[in-house]
Amino acid sequence: MNDKYNTATPLVMHIDLNSCFATVEQQARVRLRGKPVVVVNRRTDMTMIVTASYEAKAMGVKLGMRLRDAKLLCPELVGVESDPAKYKYVYHKLLDIMNDYSAHVTMKSIDEGVIDFGEAPVAIVERGLENIGREIKQRLRDEIGIAMRCNVGIATNRFLAKMAASLHKPDGLDIITDENLREVYSTLKLQDLTGIAGRNEHRLNAIGIMTPLQFLDASPQVLHDMVFQSINGDYWHQRLRGWEVDDVETTVKRVGRQYVLDSFTLSFDEILQRLHHLCESVGWRMRKQGLSARGIYVGTRTFNMEGDKRRNYWHASYVSMSPFFSDGTIYSLARHLFVNAPPNIRDINIHVYLLQETEETQVSLFADQIARERSVVDAIDELNDRYGEHTIHSADTTKTSPFVKTKIPFGSTRYL
Amino acid sequence: MNDELFMNERVDVVAKFSSGLNPLEPVKFRRASGREITVKEIGLRHPTMQGKRMVHVFDVTDGAADYRLELDSERLVWHLTREGDRWV
Repeated sequence: MNDKYNTATPLVMHIDLNSCFATVEQQARVRLRGKPVVVVNRRTDMTMIVTASYEAKAMGVKLGMRLRDAKLLCPELVGVESDPAKYKYVYHKLLDIMNDYSAHVTMKSIDEGVIDFGEAPVAIVERGLENIGREIKQRLRDEIGIAMRCNVGIATNRFLAKMAASLHKPDGLDIITDENLREVYSTLKLQDLTGIAGRNEHRLNAIGIMTPLQFLDASPQVLHDMVFQSINGDYWHQRLRGWEVDDVETTVKRVGRQYVLDSFTLSFDEILQRLHHLCESVGWRMRKQGLSARGIYVGTRTFNMEGDKRRNYWHASYVSMSPFFSDGTIYSLARHLFVNAPPNIRDINIHVYLLQETEETQVSLFADQIARERSVVDAIDELNDRYGEHTIHSADTTKTSPFVKTKIPFGSTRYL
Repeated sequence: MNDELFMNERVDVVAKFSSGLNPLEPVKFRRASGREITVKEIGLRHPTMQGKRMVHVFDVTDGAADYRLELDSERLVWHLTREGDRWV
């Protein structure tokens, strides 16, 4: 455990396209520049805001707000329906630019990534990360468009680099070192730290830690034993001092989709059709990664439960003895669980888990049957690969495509 | 809400091929009605896959409205698919 601040040369760069989707829309649609713009998933008044441009944020518009409410704050607000293909293109351009500087690039989500210069060529590191950061900003403008802006943060670990990237939005470039570490913390609140939201803040407040500086000065014993009551306390002690603890590879543990119903007056059969469509989408994504699953989970939130919020979530799950991979099996299992769902369904959440490599599948007594199923599924996937997702699908989901569209993949970048 | 028109209108396009970061730039296009629109600025060009077929999408403006032009790279035809952002 290091009690001192990390005095090494900062070699981790965090790049963040703030208000990414709104900025990309303003880049593409020239007449939206300088106007308050929000990106929504559907062009209806009740839809939630996914991203707001800086002009909209300046008027008080926040993410998660309903479009109708946001328009009360900002009548000239322009709602734009999301266009994932554009964001995917910008993501790949950003990734290409970042890959030019180091082989150690990790995209944290569709709009932010980290370059680790620790093992980058000396010639690149000698140019100085600040210069490289400015060059990346310029390349974004040259290679994508003049409206593109990004925040760059440089530090000795991922946590501080991300924090540095959030100091001067929307077009900042900041470096955090052991020398200005305390000064930076003194300007922040606890919730400005990545990973500290309501619950963690309460934990810290409970023992008298009210500011990031007090958090920094807390001993590892206090953080371990009294605040987090786990090894997370030690991690926080290291992270705050600039030592790397977040350079960990994550593995896929589940594949899923969530969908808010397009209408709350649908019949149960129509809801099942949407569930079927989601199952096909989940199966496609899972097989794209060469995986099969053994577990399936279906959940739903309901509305009009007379104010009893504790009962507005229902879920069910099932673990199979043998792995499954076909859309038909996924839907069959999901449907079997879903028939027990309560009425007044608001959304559907489905995921498969206990994933394993398809090649690892144990030989079964029904090997012939599985081999046949595998051949059919592979043939369908090949056709869908060639002619586009959902070209060959169940007759049951013929009418659902206009409603169950793939929207913005916020968290994972596996499907980009 | 910003009024947008979605269509799939075949258009004639004058485009410029050159070297550099943007090797293809639509310069102007003529709609089915005969109206000619001169492209003032290209906002973004991005590719989308329709199955194995690549379609290049150009978001352009003539200064009065934003348009979306799509070039099917297999059939080499242009379509106007969106018109919007037209404020007085």
